[in-house]
Amino acid sequence: MRKSFKKFAAVALSAMMCVGSLAGCSKSAATDQTTGSTTAAPTTETTQAQTTETTQAPTETEPVDVATYSEAPMLAEQVKAGTLKAVDERIPDKDNIYVDTQDAAGTPLTIGNYGGTINILNGGGSWDLARPSLESIIRYNTDGTYYPNVIKSYEHNDDYTVWTFRLREGMKWSDGEDFTADDITFWYYMCHVNNFDSKASWAALKETVGEEEVFAKLTKVDDYTVTWTFQNPKFPADFIENGDFKWCWAPEHYLNDLIPSSYYVENEYYADTGLSDEQVLANAMAKGIDQATVKDLGKQATYYFWNISGIPTLNAFVLSTNPGNSDRSDDLCIMERNPYFWKVDAAGNQLPYVDALHFIKTSEDGQDQLMFRSGELDFIEVAMHDINSILTDLGDKVKLCEFASTNWGSYQITFNYTNTDKNYADLFANKDFRKAISICVDREKVSGLLSDGFLEPGQCAPSEGNIGYDPEWETKWTEYDVEEAKKLLEGCGLKMGSDGFYDFADGSDFILTLYTYTDSGASDAFPVLEQYFNAAGIKCATKDLEVSAFDTEIDNNNWCAVLGPHTEIGGLSLKSRVAPFVPIQQAAEWYGDYGTYYATGGAQGVAPTGDMAKLVELYEQWKATPVTEERDAITLDIYKIHKENMWTIAYLKAESSYSIVSTNIGNYPELLVHDDLYQYGNMIHYWSLYKAQ
Amino acid sequence: MEEKTKNRFWNGIVEFFKKDLVSYIIKRVLMFIPTLFLISILVFFVIQLPPGDYVTAHIAALASEGEYVDANYAADLRADYGLDLPVYQQYIKWIKDIVWTPTDSAYYRLYHSHHNWKYSFAYGRDVWSVVEERLGLTIGVTAVIMIFQYLVSLPIAVYASTHQYSPGDYITSIIGFLGTAIPNFIFAIILMYLSYKWTGNANVGLFTPEMLQNGIHLYNFGDFLKRMIIPIIVIGTSGTCGIIRSVRAQMLDEVAKQYTLTARAKGVPEHTIIMKYCFRAAINPTVSGLGGVLASLFSGSTVTAMVLNMQIQGPVLFKALQAQDMYLAGAIVMVQAVLVVVGVLISDIALAFLDPRIRYSGGGR
Repeated sequence: MRKSFKKFAAVALSAMMCVGSLAGCSKSAATDQTTGSTTAAPTTETTQAQTTETTQAPTETEPVDVATYSEAPMLAEQVKAGTLKAVDERIPDKDNIYVDTQDAAGTPLTIGNYGGTINILNGGGSWDLARPSLESIIRYNTDGTYYPNVIKSYEHNDDYTVWTFRLREGMKWSDGEDFTADDITFWYYMCHVNNFDSKASWAALKETVGEEEVFAKLTKVDDYTVTWTFQNPKFPADFIENGDFKWCWAPEHYLNDLIPSSYYVENEYYADTGLSDEQVLANAMAKGIDQATVKDLGKQATYYFWNISGIPTLNAFVLSTNPGNSDRSDDLCIMERNPYFWKVDAAGNQLPYVDALHFIKTSEDGQDQLMFRSGELDFIEVAMHDINSILTDLGDKVKLCEFASTNWGSYQITFNYTNTDKNYADLFANKDFRKAISICVDREKVSGLLSDGFLEPGQCAPSEGNIGYDPEWETKWTEYDVEEAKKLLEGCGLKMGSDGFYDFADGSDFILTLYTYTDSGASDAFPVLEQYFNAAGIKCATKDLEVSAFDTEIDNNNWCAVLGPHTEIGGLSLKSRVAPFVPIQQAAEWYGDYGTYYATGGAQGVAPTGDMAKLVELYEQWKATPVTEERDAITLDIYKIHKENMWTIAYLKAESSYSIVSTNIGNYPELLVHDDLYQYGNMIHYWSLYKAQ
Repeated sequence: MEEKTKNRFWNGIVEFFKKDLVSYIIKRVLMFIPTLFLISILVFFVIQLPPGDYVTAHIAALASEGEYVDANYAADLRADYGLDLPVYQQYIKWIKDIVWTPTDSAYYRLYHSHHNWKYSFAYGRDVWSVVEERLGLTIGVTAVIMIFQYLVSLPIAVYASTHQYSPGDYITSIIGFLGTAIPNFIFAIILMYLSYKWTGNANVGLFTPEMLQNGIHLYNFGDFLKRMIIPIIVIGTSGTCGIIRSVRAQMLDEVAKQYTLTARAKGVPEHTIIMKYCFRAAINPTVSGLGGVLASLFSGSTVTAMVLNMQIQGPVLFKALQAQDMYLAGAIVMVQAVLVVVGVLISDIALAFLDPRIRYSGGGR
């Protein structure tokens, strides 16, 4: 009960904040929001913090006076031995330092102790090392507010055409070199605009002028100030809040001999390096970076830079250079403390507290639990059905922490609206068919069978506390009624065949083939749902494919229906990602080839019609609207269309992610929000975690 | 008399090695070429059989991390990796570069090697560096297990055959059967569970994180041995039963044969009869099975290795196949194929050494 209330509080806060006025624009706006959220959820009063004052260090609810700095014993030893500069010379002064006093949920942080390592499971993905370590331009709280992080402040002019970033003087890269405006111009002109990082597609730094897409103009004002200039207004949602725009820097001093001439784009700051592709690969090799092509090199060294040992970063932890521990595919991959990290705690202790993060690989699911129990991992993610046994066995040695979900329900079914078979396309387009599919299932029973009753019956709709939450939507078409479902199916033109299953009007067989992908857990749900569909006269089948084969079928528009998980529909808000709300990406399940149409500028795919087209229309309006309130109103219109159409049906409410955390880890937050905009686990302030002695 | 027999035997072997063996080995080695060529074609095409390729698998993985890719990305990647070429062209390029990469190629200048096994997409580096990384450990671990298998099973087999239907025979048979009958992965899980229950540590993986960081030294060698217990028991016992049963059965046959009776009648000591004559004949099938041993040294016990989180080659191959990381998978399978071919040759030679009746030049004798 306590848990669910807290969850409500956190998610409520996210919602309020996202719908509410923009954080980070002015002090009064920020104050308003905090008051609003406090009324909504009194338990999280402490979320006052992070006023998002743009010209001050972020965490200054009560100004923290950091008189002197102290450092980890291991660094003090190096200072004493003369191999490292003193801490005062390594990190910014009082006016430029980042003082961390509370976690993303607003809970005050306790002062920790130095030393020890934190052991984490290494999932092996490209982002696994980034979640605990990446420092981005801004940082979010669970309430949706945000504040400058790596940069000291940001501001914009009155018409939003010029954005200014101010940097922290005295801040250094992890190898001790100064971090200055040059690192930003270098990244922009030598890594990004020329697509060396393969991410020139980021929308945050581009705008459409006339028919053409053009990049912003970046100007270095002085060593610690840069400006981004646009010809049209660039609103926060499309710039500072854009989830892709996480960083805008690269270590010029380290990467300048790794930029091939073939990628050079004329600019006022840097001349062509004149290096051939082969020379660049050899230079990279000399630095221990083994890449097959310059394209791979660019992507790895300037986009996935945290995965490459030797590249200086601004993160709290940097990849070890110890052979055997320096690659994310190593069985033990180590990220070590950055001696130049620019954050301190309220007492002036340089962060991070722990000496290193150890990423440990396993080859099978469940091994992480054994290793956690053996004390070789400090926290693990667990499925709901494992929670009780671990808590019972390990008692007060562990605690349960939660990442609340922003998903729209679980056990979702979505249909291919751009099916090439007209019989199916017409049937799926009929709302009554979707209603029949929804009401022919007894959600109470399904909850018991699939989640041991953990997940309550629900629908594909924003869950309580989220933006657009609507109790009517959440219960729409959830009443179990087989007879009504059959009536609806007949109303759709289906005819009962002699085998007891419905056929199309032309006599051809109707089979609802549900695609799932291996390891998604969806194939477990199929037998349960199948019996309900059969009872309603729907013949169904399943196709469980390896995920890449699954994606190929979706991309080729060669599928009938999908039993989730699949590419998201809905989520935190349009600010987080647009594609889950509007059909604008390459074929995703809930909008099929309609998305391809938008993504390819009409060259491929199927032109959306009706309400799908209306979504795209509203999205274009949303993008072009400067006033926050108006944009939020458009957001709600988009939600209304979703509620009306129910393109995806869900049977149960969304599932949170849970972690079991060893209690000797200090400052681990109990409740956060799981979302891409927040970079998932990045919300944990890893630098402030410590191991109690 | 006995001295004379011995000499004749040795002379036979020496003669065999001089005359037959050299030409035999040359012939066999020449046969390697077409065999491996056929295998390589098979490997390359079978790996390509599942729908999609690495790029689709890679994009799916990115999407699962919340990263979206635009329409051209996949096409560009395919072009970069040469995946847009027809399969036969990809194959020709693959084989050509493995056999000989010229000195003036970019690959040679970067890696100083004439054998370009290409690039592992998933690891993002040269295939051979991935294979090499686990090679030593894989061979070391599987060799220890293999030796354990033979050291345990051969004496048991001899004992069981000479004490047929004794309690010892039954007990060792039961243990052997259990080892074979319980699937390795279940046995591994049970042992890990017991280990956790009794010692508080499930001993997952061959190394403690400390060893992975600092390497294995004398001070932590004890810990390493502790971690070897479960793999040795699990993988070791799985093979022992087969060896025990076949050697025991062979032994029982040999013991009942006339030459044994004759030897016994002549008063040859029992242990000489058993060890020198019967045993040598009885391990014949076991030795001919050695052909596969080399290959399984390289990449054996995949399922068990995965359950136990052992850092050896098998799981790498499995992951590579799953992610359609075709050059990595191709390299591992090809190396295995070479080892099988070589292993078969070695076991054939060993057989000839063991059993004078087996000769290769055909006819004559």
